[in-house]
Formats: sequence, C-alpha cells, structure tokens
Amino acid sequence: MSAEESRSAQPEPAQPRPAQRQLVVWRGDEVPVQHDIPGPGDLRDDTNTGRLLIGSLVRAQLGLSLMCLMLALTVTISFPLIAALVPAVGRTSVAGLPVTLIVLGFAFYPVFLAVGWFYHRQARQLETRFTDLVNPAGRRPGD
Amino acid sequence: MTDPAVGAIAFVTLLTIVVGARGIRVARTPDDFMVAARQVPPGLNAAAISGEYLSAASFLGIAGLIVSQGLGSLWYSVGYTAGYLVLLLLVAAPLRRFGAYTIPDFADGRLGSVGLRRAATALVLVIGWFYLLPQMKGAGITLQWVLGTPYWIGVVTLGIVVSGNIAMGGMKGITFVQCFQYWLKLCAIGIPALVLLIATGHDSARNLQPGRAAVFTRATVVDVPQAIDFTLTRPATATVSGMLDQRQYRHQAVLLCACRHAAGAGAQLGFAAGAPVPTSLAMAPSPGVSWNSPLSAAGTDGAHPLLSTYGIIIATFFGAVGLPHILVRFYTNPDGEAARRTTLIVLLLLSTFYLFPAVLAVLTRASAPQLYLAGDSDNVLLALPSLLLPGLPGALLAALVAAGAFAAFLSTSSGLLVSVAGALSHDFMNGGVTSFRWCAIAAGAVATAASLLIGRFSLALLVGWAFAIAASSFSPLLVLGIWWRQLTRAGAAAGIVVGGSACLAAIVASMTGAATHGWSAVLLGQPAIWTVPLAFGVMIVTSLLTPRTLPGNVGQVMLRMHLPEALSRLDYRSFPAERGRRSPGR
Repeated sequence: MSAEESRSAQPEPAQPRPAQRQLVVWRGDEVPVQHDIPGPGDLRDDTNTGRLLIGSLVRAQLGLSLMCLMLALTVTISFPLIAALVPAVGRTSVAGLPVTLIVLGFAFYPVFLAVGWFYHRQARQLETRFTDLVNPAGRRPGD
Repeated sequence: MTDPAVGAIAFVTLLTIVVGARGIRVARTPDDFMVAARQVPPGLNAAAISGEYLSAASFLGIAGLIVSQGLGSLWYSVGYTAGYLVLLLLVAAPLRRFGAYTIPDFADGRLGSVGLRRAATALVLVIGWFYLLPQMKGAGITLQWVLGTPYWIGVVTLGIVVSGNIAMGGMKGITFVQCFQYWLKLCAIGIPALVLLIATGHDSARNLQPGRAAVFTRATVVDVPQAIDFTLTRPATATVSGMLDQRQYRHQAVLLCACRHAAGAGAQLGFAAGAPVPTSLAMAPSPGVSWNSPLSAAGTDGAHPLLSTYGIIIATFFGAVGLPHILVRFYTNPDGEAARRTTLIVLLLLSTFYLFPAVLAVLTRASAPQLYLAGDSDNVLLALPSLLLPGLPGALLAALVAAGAFAAFLSTSSGLLVSVAGALSHDFMNGGVTSFRWCAIAAGAVATAASLLIGRFSLALLVGWAFAIAASSFSPLLVLGIWWRQLTRAGAAAGIVVGGSACLAAIVASMTGAATHGWSAVLLGQPAIWTVPLAFGVMIVTSLLTPRTLPGNVGQVMLRMHLPEALSRLDYRSFPAERGRRSPGR
C-alpha cells in the first residue's frame, strides 16, 4: 500500500512550478532519486534498483549463513555416521578417555565458537560494504 | 536430608524474590514488563539468556541420562549449544531488526494474518507448558531429595514462587535475576565437578575402559530405595540386608550368581572393591548400544540408534530457534548487530557450562556406579557429592548443587511463564498489566497441576520433546519468513499446524507407550526426524500453490529485516514521514 503511494508520488518533483520560489538546500544523503547512482532513496521507494540491491544483500547474507551452517552440520553429523559404520570408534580410547567423551563432551564446542565468530565478522563486513555501496556519502574517513 | 542444602535453596529462592521485587518499582508499562524497554547491553543480555536457557534438563537431566544410558546422551548438550549457532546464523539479527515482541507478533507482522497469529499463540502455549513440566518435576525431585517431602510439595512451591514473582515484577526485574542465575549455575556445577575430579578422579580411569563392565573402585554399600531387578556380569559375594530373591537376609554374606536378581525396597547390598556393579534392568543401557557408543537410543528403547541420534540432533539444533521464551529476549537488544554479538557470547557461556555435566556424569560412572540403581536417574547429581566426599565438604558441595538446580528451575520457568502469560494476555485478553498478572498466575497453576502427572519421564527427554515441537513449527516459520519472499499466509499456517500437531501427536503416543520397539518407536519417540522436514515441506509447497495469499508489503518487510542499521537509521532520519512505521506488526 505505502509502496504504491510513494511510487505514485515520485513524478511530482519533476513537474515544474515556475510561479513559486523555492529554497533548495543540497544535502548529500537527501538526493531523492538519481537514476544513475543507486542510493538510499531506491530502497525507500522500492524501485527496481532498490529491489535488486536489497535482493543481493539478502542473497549474500543467506549464502554466508548456509555455508557456515553446512560446515557445522557436516562436522557434527558425520561423527555418528562414522561411529555406526566403524563400531571400533565407539570402543577406542585416547589417554584413558573414550573417544566419544572427547568428541561429544569437549571437541565440538570450539568448532561452534569458531564458526560463529567467523560468521559474525563476515556478516558485519558484508553489511559495511553494502552500506558504503548504497550510501557513499555516509562513509567517514577512517571507516 | 542435609541442612546446608535447605539453607542454600532458601537463599536462592529468597534472592530471586528480592531481586525480582525491585522490578516492581521500575516496571510501569506493558513494554517494561515484556521486553525490559529494549535497553539491555549484550554482556548482561547474554548471561540472562543463558541463565534462562539452562534448565532442569541441562543441570540434572543430561548427567542423569549419561549415567544411565551412556555417553550418546551428550548429544543433548551438544545440540542445546548448537541451537544457538543456528539461531545466530539464521535468525538473530533479522528478527531483532524486524522489532516485534513475540513469535505471534512476528507471524502477524510478517504475513498480516490474524488467524495465523492465533495459531502461533496456541503453539506458544503448547511449547511453553510442555517445557514447564520438566522444570516442575525437577523442583519436585530436588525438594524430595533434600527435605524428604512428597514430590508434589516441590512442584507446588516452584509454581507459587514463580507465578507470584512474575505477576509482581515482570521481566525488568527478571533480567538481573536471570543474569545472576547463570553465574550461580556455572559455579554450582563447575565447583563440584572440579573438586570431585581432583579428590576422586585419579582412580576412575578403570571404569571408563570401553567394553568393560563397571566395577566398584572401593568397598561400597548399595542402598535400594525401591524394588528393582538387576543382573551381574560375573558372580560376586555381597553382604545383604533385607529382601533379596524372595528371601529375608540380616547382614549375611551371599554368593550372587551372574543372573537375574530381585531386590526389595530398603535392601542393602555391600560389595567389596573390584566386584562387578549390578546393572538395573529398568535403567540398563539399551541392548545393542554400549555405554561408550556415541549413538543415543534414549526414548526409543534401543531401536535404530543411528536414526534416533539424528532425531535428537535435528530437534535440538533447530528447536532453539523456535523457543518462545528465548526469542522474546532478543528484542531486548538495542539493534541487530548487538543481537549477533549477544548470541555469540551466549554460545561461549553455554559451551563453558556444558563441559561440567559431562565431567560429573563420567565421575559418577567411574566412582559411584551404584547411583544408577536408584531408579530415577535425574537425582544422580544431587546424590554424588556426599557419596564421594563424606562429611562436611560433601554436604556443602551437595548444597551447592541443590541451589544451582533450584536456580535452574526458577529461571527457566520464569522465562517460560512470561512468554505464556504474555501470549495469553496479549492475544486473548485486553493486554494490560493487570491481565498479564492474572494470566501469569493462571498459567502457573495449569503447569503445576499437569506436572504432577509426568514423574516417570527423564528431564532431558521431556525438554528434548519441547524442542522437537518448536523445531517442527516455529523454526520453519521463522527461517522461511526471514529468508524467503514467497512465503504466503496459507503456507505458513499449514506448515505450523501440520508440523506442530504431527509432532505433538507423536510425542503423546510415545508417552502413552503406543510403540515400544522397531521403527514406530523411533518415529514416535524422536519425531523431529520426520516432522521437521514435513513442516518445511508443507510450508514451501502450500506457499507455491497459494500465491494469492502472498502479503502485499513483503518488499517493505524484507527491507526492515535485512537493512543494516547504518542505512535504516539514515532513512528514518532523512524521511520523517517514515517514522510512524517503526512500530511492530503494522
């Protein structure tokens, strides 16, 4: 509903009103719709460019999440399968402790933490890059 | 039984009430009650989430299940932790950016359907109540162990304390309580684990050798609280008092054959060091699954252990995403980035905690294997310290464990009750503070009454089932709702109704003993293995078939969930007209 409203409102600035005087203040982040440079306005107005932009962000984020998920799942799911195919795994012990205890009790947690930390860093980078792409004016020196 | 334990439990309970009561002065509006006005920093919030999450199952249940069923039960603690990794990867930041209070709010705001909202609210009640049962059971058996009171007294005590506290303080007070209770629980399980490991760990390696039956590491008298059947792996001499194999003994040495025996309630069997540990027939690890095996057949009576293990993995990995009392905590983060940081800290806090139940369970197996003869595996941790360390040190450690266990019941049931009462008052009443209070009391009373009926099920198993229901209903709703534009109202409703009710039906069938062996036992006892794919499948196929029920504002909603804060804040500042749209669910 609101998307349609804002779309129908778009052509208005293009109609000239010569009788009225206007004070124009230019601010970098407020240029309404510049069709050659994608900007925050595209996202707000749900233009084709805007949809393309947000679609690419969602796909990139989902790809990163699924990659990390697959990594963690492969590591965990393969262990019971290996143990079922090679029953000797369940009967082995290392330094007096059963392999099962070492793997299930201790070894998986660092893996989860590493995957989570990697994801957190990558997701933040993705968002920073997207923000810079959409709104270069918002970039501060040193960022 | 022990005075320090009584004092410790009273202390934890009083402290919870006092800290919670401070919330009365702070909490004024429904917003304060529900999500602590969204101003909780990540470190505090992460400890509060962990405090709320670590329940009776984590504290007592997992260790008990490992002792009785074997190391494969460690999959529960692995899965309870991995659930937060899945939550971090798929849900945390977008859900916070979406900015709704509860899962029904999310369903309504994402898909704009009142019917779907009602269905989601009903499921919050089912999952919340199902999850409350093991907490109440935990309180019942802990007070039974410490004070010798009947089971129902502990259950009713917890019900009254928690509903009263929630009705008075809401969640603002509870955030501090939950945070404090995480650290209390960590100490209450970590200190006994380390002390007992140092004190008695040196002679425990023998019983951990795979493929070897457990033996007593020193002369031990086994108390039999209730009549059991047991077997021995080889003949042994025991000093018997009480009923054994239909004969009354009075402190006599008896040579027991390596066969089946029946001990009466109150019997005492004294074994010498090196004698084989009797194996209880009721509690024995399932045939075909050795104690050291990484496969778990808990809840399925030993049938198809590999499939059953995957059932536990699917339920716990994807269940945490759909737990109503956990998700409400994510809205207390200031923004999506903070939600991710919070989840990562939660992952660290949980990983630390779950090291210790494994240590304690292995110590029990190695040094006090007679404990799994006691009938109910859930009080193993309460009994362990005084068995391994006689005298005051053991009593103090036991008091610490009892206090930690009580903290676990208090914090988890508080969080659950806030969600259940919130869902009830928001969707079925007028949503004010007064109705929230009454709903908290009513919901607490229902849970208390129901938990008087479920005494015979293991805590970890019960909580695992609550996870399975969440994984087959809310988990697909959230994951698809966040990442898939084509999700429709009809698809979401069909998915949560079919998945949730199939899973609930399977669990109820399993609880009533409809199937005890073979494929049906696995498919009913660990239903997540088929209900989670079913729920995802139904949701996707129905959505593709009903494109007409696609909500019109899906573009806007996707934008709100996925736009980084740097851009969404900029948008709202630059375009004042948009400001009104920040309120959830519109």
